[in-house]
Amino acid sequence: MKTVDLVERIEGEAKLACSWKNNIISDARIEFLNFRGFELILEGKSPLDALIYTPRICGICGQAHLHTTVNALENIYENIGEKLNITKKAKLLREIGLNIEIIDSHIKWFYMFIMPDITNLSNSDYSDYSALKGKKWIKASSVASETIKSLAIIGGQWPHTSYMLPGGVVSDPTLLDLTSMQNYLDQAIKFFEHDFVGVDFEKYLSFSGLKDVNKINGDLKDFVNLSFENDLEKIGMAYDKHIVLGESTLFKSGRINKRLSTKIDLNRISEDTNYTFNIEEKNDSKDAYGWAKNVKYSNEFYETGPLSRALVQSRKFIKEIHKEYSDSVFTRVISRMDELAHLLYMTKELIKQVDISEESFIKPKISLSDISEAKGVGVVEACRGSLFHEVSIKEGKIDSYNVITPTVWNLGPGDKSNYSIAQKAIIGNTSIEKAKIVLRSFDVCSVCTTH
Amino acid sequence: MVDSQEMVKKVFTQDSARVDTNKGDAYYNSLFEKAKSRLEALKKQPALKDIDMMEVVESEGVNRRDFMKWASATTATLMLPPMFTPLVAEATELMNRVPVIWIELQDCAGNSEALLRSSTPTVDDLLFDVLSLEFHHTLQSASGHQAEEQLEDAIHHFKGKYLLFVEGAIPTAINGGYGTIGASGETFQENLERLSKDAAAVVAVGSCATYGGVPAASPNPTGAVGVMDLVKGKPVINIPACPANPANMVGVVLHFVLTGQIPELDSLLRPKFAFGYRIHDNCERRAHFDAGEFVEEWGDEGAKNNFCLYKVGCKGPMTFNNCSIIRYNDGANWPIGVGRGCIGCSEPDFWDKYAYERPMADANIKAPTGGVEKTVDEFGLGLLTATTIGIGVHAVASAVAGKRTVHSEDGEE
Ligand code: SF4
Ligand code: SF4
Repeated sequence: MKTVDLVERIEGEAKLACSWKNNIISDARIEFLNFRGFELILEGKSPLDALIYTPRICGICGQAHLHTTVNALENIYENIGEKLNITKKAKLLREIGLNIEIIDSHIKWFYMFIMPDITNLSNSDYSDYSALKGKKWIKASSVASETIKSLAIIGGQWPHTSYMLPGGVVSDPTLLDLTSMQNYLDQAIKFFEHDFVGVDFEKYLSFSGLKDVNKINGDLKDFVNLSFENDLEKIGMAYDKHIVLGESTLFKSGRINKRLSTKIDLNRISEDTNYTFNIEEKNDSKDAYGWAKNVKYSNEFYETGPLSRALVQSRKFIKEIHKEYSDSVFTRVISRMDELAHLLYMTKELIKQVDISEESFIKPKISLSDISEAKGVGVVEACRGSLFHEVSIKEGKIDSYNVITPTVWNLGPGDKSNYSIAQKAIIGNTSIEKAKIVLRSFDVCSVCTTH
Repeated sequence: MVDSQEMVKKVFTQDSARVDTNKGDAYYNSLFEKAKSRLEALKKQPALKDIDMMEVVESEGVNRRDFMKWASATTATLMLPPMFTPLVAEATELMNRVPVIWIELQDCAGNSEALLRSSTPTVDDLLFDVLSLEFHHTLQSASGHQAEEQLEDAIHHFKGKYLLFVEGAIPTAINGGYGTIGASGETFQENLERLSKDAAAVVAVGSCATYGGVPAASPNPTGAVGVMDLVKGKPVINIPACPANPANMVGVVLHFVLTGQIPELDSLLRPKFAFGYRIHDNCERRAHFDAGEFVEEWGDEGAKNNFCLYKVGCKGPMTFNNCSIIRYNDGANWPIGVGRGCIGCSEPDFWDKYAYERPMADANIKAPTGGVEKTVDEFGLGLLTATTIGIGVHAVASAVAGKRTVHSEDGEE
């Protein structure tokens, strides 16, 4: 038997096609059927144009795209032996902006994307979570709106800010601006304590063992209860191989394939398109079924995202949970929400470190439009995982631009010899509801996947 | 050939006067009466959602006075005189009489995100509790086949009455194969045409839905177009910008509730209340422009002193939008506020015309109206040459007059 279901409440839409044998999912395909063609559009444009194009790949993680583009363009300077001097202040403002975007995304994801499906598994009354009108839904949406204002202060607006450029950032916040940013984050921390985990912030940050899961209160407690009632700690396992490409104050790069290794060689990343539609319809391979590509490291599928980050970085609380429940839906969701706490903490610290007397921007000596030929890569940790951009310029114009988003790592079409991460995690499930929750645990973004 | 510097200066410094903010007492009095009876009639209609606006507002700790403050700010945004404030407040409470269906096509969900971010003073509640959002792809609870059914029910039930909000462009190449939706694999174009057929009006939000946006940037690989290129015989309202400002989305709905009509539109189908002025007309850095004080490059002394961003590529003088007044994220900030300059995102084809590398120094950009001209910097004050002035002034003057075509004076079109 074969079924086709629609997955909405992601950015865009996906189709989940499952084959069933004895009421168990024996094969799964995740079809992404929308395409815009950013990489083609960028060809021939001025390199700095990419700074306003790529944030528009996604209305949720535009900051991450902006940051990755800047990294790639600065890497071009490095590759031609013209390393730029980026002040600490500029670096901080970039990282702060990116963190705030992830904070916002994690809050929304929990309330708007994951909980509506999970509360559906229960017969009890969870109407406070219902979309557009439940009390908790509305509260979460207004907390996220308030939090993102702290990014607007340095970014100018959200979504789609373009305040970074090779050499630094354009914004020059005053002390008052920095204080208002702190205030917005304090409100988010209050929400975290009172509504979300029902535990004092400091106390939460000291969680280190499995038993601490019992101390969780508040809305996250609802998730914990629902998980154990519905065996979410037992489903959704993939290969348990993890990769983190980006580095920041909070995140470390590395990969786990049984053992942790901190060496990442970006040249080992490869993409294939055997299962991907071709831009010219007639050239589609016979196996093609969507716009998503496969991406691998050393020819193997790796998972990316908050769980991978927590493991590579060895965050105690998550490591303990992972020891017990492996890479299940439960572990994945808890990791994302745990990251929220650490990001809130770290971002406040980073704001304190901004020295307003430093320069925000130091002009590069050479203009990118004067460069005859060069290449650059950029990586960053976005809400959903590692984001990679590769740009090459010829005669001062973009010659090619390649984007590999986190969702491509997690939600590729798979190939003959191996299922992709999400496919692997879905196969073996006994109901479509659970299969969709597994899929959602990766924080699917269709527009990023296909771009 | 127009005379040089003075003329350019005049064009850039005069306020554009596309919107008639004072149409006279007779006009407003009759509109007032009309709105009053419209609201009376709406009140008699059953609410689509049984929620009392004032209860919501008060339960959120916002008092009547704050709410009235919001209403008066919104009245001003809609460019109506203060006497309309109580009617706007009333219309807000009656927003649950007008069903809204929101679909996403070739988009990035940025406008939905922007909408979620609007909360003055809990417009979240105004929107989500009171506005009868009958269908929203990303935000609603239902998903999968259940969501499809919900949409069918809504269009059937509210035939001829709903406002259809569209986010995202529509790919037309390879028979629409670049974007399909739903279990049946309907193309975006088919979806849009089917859903707009029974709508009272179609509102295109964001630059993708209005003019094709990013996907339509050259070489437009998917053949993307905007809503107005496909939907005919139906009122279409464009709310461009990337993302569109949520205040303008709320404004359009309120206007519709208040008057039963779509707001007055410009030649690009944009509501004049929002797109009647240039960014530059109300910019906080305008005094520096007039004084000839410019940021010469990012990070310089001028930047630290918030000087005008024209020379680092600000497109405020050619861009019609109200973000210099309402800003973004509940007024938290806007691009010019952080020193980035306006990128002209509410103008057609801005991706190809305006988005050229910043600073704009060596880019040949097209004029707002489609003509070809030299660099913006070249007609920056003080850098003028006789040839560019003629072309530049003509193009900009046409934009100010709101004409869509320009007869290029150098013969290259
Ligand atoms: S107009 Fe801008 S915000 Fe809207 S969908 Fe397009 S890229 Fe996204
Ligand atoms: S910053 Fe831009 S919009 Fe503002 S005054 Fe200068 S040119 Fe005009």
